Amino acid sequence: MLRRMPNTTATDAAPQAGGSGNTDAPAVFVARGLCKSYGSGDATVHALRDLDLDILQGEFVVLLGPSGSGKSTLLNILGGLDAPTSGRAAWRDHELTGADEAALTAYRRDHVGFVFQFYNLIPSLTARENVELVAEIARDPMRPEEALALVGLSHRLDHFPGQLSGGEQQRVAVARAIVKRPDALLCDEPTGALDVETGKLVLSAIARANRDVGATTVVITHNAAIAGMADRVLRMGGGRIVAIEPNARRLAPEELVW
Amino acid sequence: MSVLDRKLLRDIRALRGQVVTIALLIGAGVAVLVMSVSSFLSLRGAQQAFYAESHFAEAYAEVERAPRTLLARIAEIPGVALAEGRVTGEARVDWPGAEVPVAGRVLSLPVGGEQPALNRLRLLAGRLPEPTRHDEAVIHAAFAEARGVRPGDEIAVILNGRRERFRITGIAHSPEFVFTSRPGNPLPDDRGFVVLWANEDAVARAFDMQGAFDQVVLTLAPGASEPAVIAELDRLLLPWGGRGAYGRRDQPSHRFLEDELAEQRTLAVTVPLVFFGIAAFLLNVVLGRMVEAQREQVAALKALGYPSFPIALHYAKFVAMICLLGSALGVAAGAWMGAGMLGNYRPFFRFPELPYLLPAWLPLLAAAASFAVALLGVLAALRRILRLPAAEGLRPARPAAFGGRVLGGVGRRLGARAKIPLRGLLGRPLRTLLTVLGIALAVPMVVLGLFWWDAMDSMVELQFDRIERGDAFVALTDPRPSRAVREMARLPGVLAAEGQRIVPVRLRAAQRSRLLALTGLPEGAALRVPRDVDLRPVPIPRHGIALSRRLAERLGVREGDTVQVEVLEGARRVHDLPVAALVEDIIGFTALMEIGALNRLMREDDLVSHVALRVDPLAAEALWQRLAERPRVAATNVKAVWLRVFDEVIAGLVLTSAVTLTGFGVIIAVGVVYNSARVALQERGWEMASLRVLGFTRREVSRILLAELALAVLVAVPLGLVLAQWFVGLILGARDNESFDVPAVISTATFATAALVVLGAALASALVVRRRIDRLDLIAALKARD
Ligand SMILES: Nc1ncnc2c1ncn2[C@@H]1O[C@H](COP(=O)(O)OP(=O)(O)OP(=O)(O)O)[C@@H](O)[C@H]1O
Ligand SMILES: [Mg+2]
Repeated sequence: MLRRMPNTTATDAAPQAGGSGNTDAPAVFVARGLCKSYGSGDATVHALRDLDLDILQGEFVVLLGPSGSGKSTLLNILGGLDAPTSGRAAWRDHELTGADEAALTAYRRDHVGFVFQFYNLIPSLTARENVELVAEIARDPMRPEEALALVGLSHRLDHFPGQLSGGEQQRVAVARAIVKRPDALLCDEPTGALDVETGKLVLSAIARANRDVGATTVVITHNAAIAGMADRVLRMGGGRIVAIEPNARRLAPEELVW
Repeated sequence: MSVLDRKLLRDIRALRGQVVTIALLIGAGVAVLVMSVSSFLSLRGAQQAFYAESHFAEAYAEVERAPRTLLARIAEIPGVALAEGRVTGEARVDWPGAEVPVAGRVLSLPVGGEQPALNRLRLLAGRLPEPTRHDEAVIHAAFAEARGVRPGDEIAVILNGRRERFRITGIAHSPEFVFTSRPGNPLPDDRGFVVLWANEDAVARAFDMQGAFDQVVLTLAPGASEPAVIAELDRLLLPWGGRGAYGRRDQPSHRFLEDELAEQRTLAVTVPLVFFGIAAFLLNVVLGRMVEAQREQVAALKALGYPSFPIALHYAKFVAMICLLGSALGVAAGAWMGAGMLGNYRPFFRFPELPYLLPAWLPLLAAAASFAVALLGVLAALRRILRLPAAEGLRPARPAAFGGRVLGGVGRRLGARAKIPLRGLLGRPLRTLLTVLGIALAVPMVVLGLFWWDAMDSMVELQFDRIERGDAFVALTDPRPSRAVREMARLPGVLAAEGQRIVPVRLRAAQRSRLLALTGLPEGAALRVPRDVDLRPVPIPRHGIALSRRLAERLGVREGDTVQVEVLEGARRVHDLPVAALVEDIIGFTALMEIGALNRLMREDDLVSHVALRVDPLAAEALWQRLAERPRVAATNVKAVWLRVFDEVIAGLVLTSAVTLTGFGVIIAVGVVYNSARVALQERGWEMASLRVLGFTRREVSRILLAELALAVLVAVPLGLVLAQWFVGLILGARDNESFDVPAVISTATFATAALVVLGAALASALVVRRRIDRLDLIAALKARD
């Protein structure tokens, strides 16, 4: 199990990146002094440098930034896939840094939904079965059909990934991520491989999950237009958060101009 | 170094687990080939060299007593090159402390202290007897080694009931005694059987054969017809009590050696063929899958504009490296095992030299053969890939309609997790079939190693528990009235005694004929119980003759047919007798009659030549000594001793093959399972990492990946057991050995062991792969497919 953080509560820990339009919500993701480096000596690459961050419950955050700025690294740490070189990261009262493999697996399993650029669907399972796969190991899942309905794929339940378009595959991935009613939905370039219209479909599926399931959502993108959907936009550069831009009003995906 | 060559080295490093297991697979095939062919060639080479050097005779004839003057007439038979007469006899050696009496033969050396013209001795130590000495003898190396006899030692020998002392002047090998055993025993008993050579005067005097001979040996002129010479020889010797002439083929030592060589040749062909076939098949499967796993790389190279040839060459080099490694291992192991096999033959076959020969072409042939099959496997897979349009190849191999319907209604009720391995198996039925077959083939390898024990056990059980029920078998110096049996029954320690009459005969049926011993048994004999195919006792026929089933097959006769029996002793009449029954035997060939009928056939009284005894174990030792002292006893064969020798001699042979073949079975099982798992991981690592990201534990993910293999193994093992039975039948069917019949008996324990060995090997490989699954790089899986 993850160790409980002794004295971190959401409210007293939001000095830099906290405070959107929704300030009463507690911070669920908390990062302090996160560093991640690869290699050593002259060849050292610093992916994250002393990064602090708070993300509030139910918030929709978009991470923008140039390639190599550390977005994926940050998301992977928050998702319990990677460990920082130094610093701390926590989800609610669970310390993520220093947790063992089994604890991180349990964390991902119980709380996190992932969507990735390359869909990562199981090719030998149908859309329904791909979603069912995750529902099987979740505590309080919705029905797979329900999750697929949320992403508008009720009519393709029994198709294999190979029979679906990229956008459809990505929506299956979103359905798979939300079927467990995750507390956090982490998406790394979910529209990276898709065209505008398809991208919008996927984004609205994500936005709907954020709204209907109440999942705290972090979306990495290169597409600044998507930023309009967010409560807050975090700009990254050189392993740090260089700017935080709250949106007064969240746009619906259909309103986005690409 | 070209970039592709660098890729080659990196691939070999990255795939070293697979490279090593495949190399071992090749090595095993090469090793079996090298081992069996080289040991066969070595044995054959030693035989030919020794026969040539010692002028091994090509025909033999035994006669009661023929005058030496007849030899000149024999030498004049057209087609005879050289003929030599000699005197031979039974010898019993009074060896102090021998647990059972030592049996033996004595042969005369020509007058004048010369080597014989034919069947010359190869002296290992000492010299031939001085021409004038009657008390000097050369001794055969087998007994000398077993009992530590040295030139200068004296031994006491009973010849024709008289005790004589001989001083040993030399130790020798002889082409007639490459294989020696007590008469009627199919296995060597060096401690219990001796051959002596002494001057003709000495032997002739002992057997009252002065101026006469009782055996003639001869060589044939080039182009001479052996049957014609033998017929003429028989005709010349008939008035003098000829017992039938025969060619080299029927000379006991030669026959046994030829049988063994024939058996070796069969094994040298069938076993490597089976093994090589299996290895080639696996190579095909494993390498094919390995190349297939690289299809995206190949397609990318092609898309970059690489022509097909360098790509093919690249993989050919890859295969060549593996084959080179495998062949090197295989040749080394095969040579080592071949030399070991030859070592196992040393106690069987006494050659002056038995060098291990490994002709240079053999390793080359083996390596070339393995390279050819490996390349075939790779090129077939490669062609499939190169034929693909580049875009198709760049997409991961993924059948469009993944056998979705195959699972049908059952599928609905299974969880999504269970469907992944099932679809994996059913979605690519051909590949699944090959994997299953590959794993299944490991089972017969282990069975082929282990079943010899079962076969030997059942052989011994049949021959010595069910057929030969006595504890000892006594040969008399000459046929005696049946009261000799009653006398022997009264000896202390004898619980039961049964007389037998054994006479040499020639059996003929149509064009086929055989020399063998015809045994007369009393009705209701309890110490020798003939049995039918179902092992039920067969009553000894009052009329006609009972033949062993194997012999009947060779003579081409069936129950009810008639065979011609020419008795080669006494009045030597020819009779036509019906085949009244067929009986089972394991060692040698059996022909049986009722003893009274046999004696009547010979126009003789109620005579016995052998006595079977049941003995009180507590009084056995004393009884053997007492029997040794009786003048009319030529030899006593004790079952317990025979069984001990059998265990000693056979155990080594069987153990060697059991250990090697079991080892190969493990190599096959590991090779297939490990490689299948590795390739599966290569192909599906990305999927598995994705599952891990989604929150599946290592255990769950390993289960999903390995379940596919586990299912394959569970189907493969029973299939393997069936294949094992079939292979054993195949290999035994190809055997053609008259000395032994090996029954195709496989015990449950052997089947169970083979299944467990394969399951264990599969489990071990699965664990290795499991460790790799535990170390999957999750983040890499998110970036892109590799
Ligand atoms: N395994 C690794 N070894 C070495 N360096 C790495 C490794 N993973 C990431 N990096 C480096 O860390 C830095 C941050 O990588 P990260 O993947 O977080 O970037 P990103 O912001 O997601 O970029 P992109 O938008 O291109 O996906 C990069 O400079 C990258 O080269
Ligand atoms: Mg990234």
